[in-house]
Amino acid sequence: MPSSAREDRRPLLRRIDRLAVASFSVLTLLLGIYWVHQVLRGDDYARQAENNRQRSVPINASRGFILDRNGKLLAENEPSFTLLLYRRETRDVEASLRFVAELLGRPLEELRRRVERTRGGYDFVPVVLDDDLSIAEVGAVEAHALEHPELVVQTTERRVYTQGTVLAHLLGYLGEASPEQLASRAGRVRSGESIGQRGIEAAYQDLLSGTSGLRTFVIDSFGREVAELDRIDPLPGNTLVLNVDLDLQRIADDYFRDKVGSAVALDPRTGEILALVSAPAFDPNVFSRRVTRAEWQAIIGNEDRPMQNRAIQNVFSPGSVWKAFVAYAALTNGISASETTFCPGFATFYGRRFRCHGAHGTVDLPRALQVSCDVWFYNAGRRLGVDALAEAARTFGFGRPTGVDLASEKAGNVPSTAWSQSVRKHPWYPGETISVAIGQGPLLVSALQTARAFSALANEDGALPVPHLFRIGEHVRSGARVAYRPPVTERVPFPPGVRETIVEGLWRVVNQPGGTAFRYRAEGLDACGKTGTVQVVAQKQAKMTHQLPEKLRDHAWFAAFAPREDARIVVVVFVENGMHGSSAAAPLAMRLIEAHLRPGSVPIPEPPAAPLPEATPPGGTTTAERGATPPATRTGA
Amino acid sequence: MSRLADALPRRVDVPLLFSAVALSAAGLAMVVSTTSGTARGGLGGRQALFLLAGVVAASFFALFDYRLLLRASPALFLVSLLPLVWLPVFGPTIAGAKSWIRLFGGFQVQPSELARIATVLLLAWILENDDRPYLSTRTVAALVGVVALPIGLILLQPDLGVALTYVPFLLAALYLGGLRPRVWAGLVLAGSLAAGASWFVLKDYQKDRIRTFLDPDLAARGAGYQVRQARIAIGSGGIAGKGWKEGTQSRLGFLPVRHSDFIFAALAEERGFVGVAAVIGLYGLYLARGFGVARDARDRGGSMLVLLVVLNVAAQAAANVAMNVGVLPTTGITLPFVSYGGSSIIATWAMTGLVLSVAQRRFVNV
Repeated sequence: MPSSAREDRRPLLRRIDRLAVASFSVLTLLLGIYWVHQVLRGDDYARQAENNRQRSVPINASRGFILDRNGKLLAENEPSFTLLLYRRETRDVEASLRFVAELLGRPLEELRRRVERTRGGYDFVPVVLDDDLSIAEVGAVEAHALEHPELVVQTTERRVYTQGTVLAHLLGYLGEASPEQLASRAGRVRSGESIGQRGIEAAYQDLLSGTSGLRTFVIDSFGREVAELDRIDPLPGNTLVLNVDLDLQRIADDYFRDKVGSAVALDPRTGEILALVSAPAFDPNVFSRRVTRAEWQAIIGNEDRPMQNRAIQNVFSPGSVWKAFVAYAALTNGISASETTFCPGFATFYGRRFRCHGAHGTVDLPRALQVSCDVWFYNAGRRLGVDALAEAARTFGFGRPTGVDLASEKAGNVPSTAWSQSVRKHPWYPGETISVAIGQGPLLVSALQTARAFSALANEDGALPVPHLFRIGEHVRSGARVAYRPPVTERVPFPPGVRETIVEGLWRVVNQPGGTAFRYRAEGLDACGKTGTVQVVAQKQAKMTHQLPEKLRDHAWFAAFAPREDARIVVVVFVENGMHGSSAAAPLAMRLIEAHLRPGSVPIPEPPAAPLPEATPPGGTTTAERGATPPATRTGA
Repeated sequence: MSRLADALPRRVDVPLLFSAVALSAAGLAMVVSTTSGTARGGLGGRQALFLLAGVVAASFFALFDYRLLLRASPALFLVSLLPLVWLPVFGPTIAGAKSWIRLFGGFQVQPSELARIATVLLLAWILENDDRPYLSTRTVAALVGVVALPIGLILLQPDLGVALTYVPFLLAALYLGGLRPRVWAGLVLAGSLAAGASWFVLKDYQKDRIRTFLDPDLAARGAGYQVRQARIAIGSGGIAGKGWKEGTQSRLGFLPVRHSDFIFAALAEERGFVGVAAVIGLYGLYLARGFGVARDARDRGGSMLVLLVVLNVAAQAAANVAMNVGVLPTTGITLPFVSYGGSSIIATWAMTGLVLSVAQRRFVNV
């Protein structure tokens, strides 16, 4: 053992001193670093720690209900259950998926796809495995809550359209906001939020949507909620009362069950839309869930284009319905109502023979309207010229949107010499005027435009109101009401006697033998109307229209108002390929008039049971497909 | 009156013991705070048990004459290596490494921590036997060999953190023994080369840690996430801290391994800069008393033993504190006395017992 007493300890002591200096320097340095972080930058880190532990999640507001003019419920909300998977709560996602697939009978592949789609996102953000659980399925999942804490059922609200397809085009539907919608409604709509698409839902999105609330809570590092810090309750959306009368709507919908076309009923005095039907329709409830690929294919694969609102988006030649407005052009341009024309069943203009559908003999204007004599109107048209007809058309609101509170309304087309030059790049042929005089040719109108124009005939003062669905918005909490505010009403100027002459002719159409709709008159309704038939193929080939394939058959129009004095309803019915205006379109128009003027006299058909479709079948689709472009609008005669 | 009963109360180095006890108490409080009420249940009871075992071990070593231990150190060293040889081959894999031997009652022992005691004794013994101003080549080779052997075996487990805690032993031993400047230069060069070469044997996750250390923004959510969260925990503690069990970063789980590697960040969050300064001060006190005891030790072996122990504890502490705040890359180095873990607590206390043993037998008033 070396003697410590003899050892030279000086080098060791020197080294200890140096080590002490070095060690305490290091400790002091570390203390300085902590000083910087804790004392100098402490507040900044404290904020970061707060952000770390707090999450704010918006609470969706309940969407406002939609009622008809009599307070009948058209759209409401019901609870809907979404199954969420929190990936961080499970070690084996695949096992969880297999469990769900077995428990709920969902295809494993689809579940895997849903997880796969969210790959790359934060794993504390849950994956939506299914957004349409039944109550029984909710129970089944919650019974296994202990073994499968990663599976959470979230309750949300789903839009329910109580009438199924009956008001499809009128109400619209809900769908995830598209990037364009997000951009145009910046701050009011969140990404992923469902907003109104088309119809009333889109037009009054801001009134219906309410104001989202906000929940702030403490989370742990797994994103699990630990405690709630703050809660701002959402403000529910306004209840919307529409002008629609569900009874009229149902009658019209029922009539169109096996037909293609549209029907509009208005109150001519105010422009209130009492009914608006486009057939075929779709079930807007389908869009409240994720649309399956099969459902979407069924909708876009249907060549009758069920997504299209034919009452405002399809424009056709008005056919003989147009004669009411040619009559106005004639009477305001120096042609007398008593001027007669001899109808031998045809007329020849510019070396071409134009047929009439009968040989009416000597006819004056009221008679020409009553029997729909083409020859009288051919002559009137030739004398007036297309520009006079165009001016009359524009006076009645044709050629431009009506201003209805629905999007994507078509303007139609009012041909004139100027239009021909600027759009077609060739001069107007006088022979075309002969066709336009009976509502054929490049003249294109929508059912709603026609209904609005008929309102001007129905109203003694010639008022041309803007058609509208919105009646009242009522705040659920405060009861504050927003009522429809009509814009300044346009008027069609009627020189003395002009309106009365036209109305006389339209009255005779329905109420005098020989009138084209005389067969469909109803006692005491005192309706005035005009039938119309639009040729789909050229007249020469169309001798036996009932033998033609359905798609080539003539379209049928009927426009009417009632009663003759102080009219309270205007109806326009358009049946595609319906052949004759009188037989195909008039019955519904008369039924709607009767139902409106004599409540209770017409049986109200039960709506078809709106089947809430089953859970997502295999091949369920994404919101991307839901957002696909709607089919292009078809126009033409 | 026996010598033992007479010696104990008077010869105990109270400041050194106080620093060890205070650090252990702070550690226990933080283990309770970071583990109670969580899914894994509180670990405070177990930590208290470990501390008790540590104090028993420390008492044993404090009462034992360290000279006997120094003389027996080659044999102790070899015995302590046996489990380290056995582990990489037959040991159970726990948390990705074969570092543990399972004992009864759910306890596990980490032989690499216990081998530390034998290593420190052997190093001191070697240094005692070479008291010239500069170490002979033979001694240097012996020192390198004694440290390299356990490091190599521990790296086989693999447990980089524990292996690294052996490095300060070698550096301290070489410095205390004395090396000529050119030998130091050669060692630094060789060390740098070895560090460079080690890049090729490091596991991917270890490389990630070094990368994120060099560039924390590189992976804010990956390996850098832990470093960032730890720094938020430390910084948000401010001056006074959020209070015991009130640390949001730690209680809500944003802080990684908060009862062990990152317990100091949890302490910084809940106790603030005041707590940080107190703990660093306690290590300073421990170190200062160690230097004092080393100066007064009655022989070279005792001095070396004390210096190796306190430098090792202080180096680990400094590395852990630096790692918590992101100044050093994340390696599994725990905070001595404070971090949860039986083997580490017992080894640290046992080594402190060795220091107390030397302190008791110093020259003063013999």
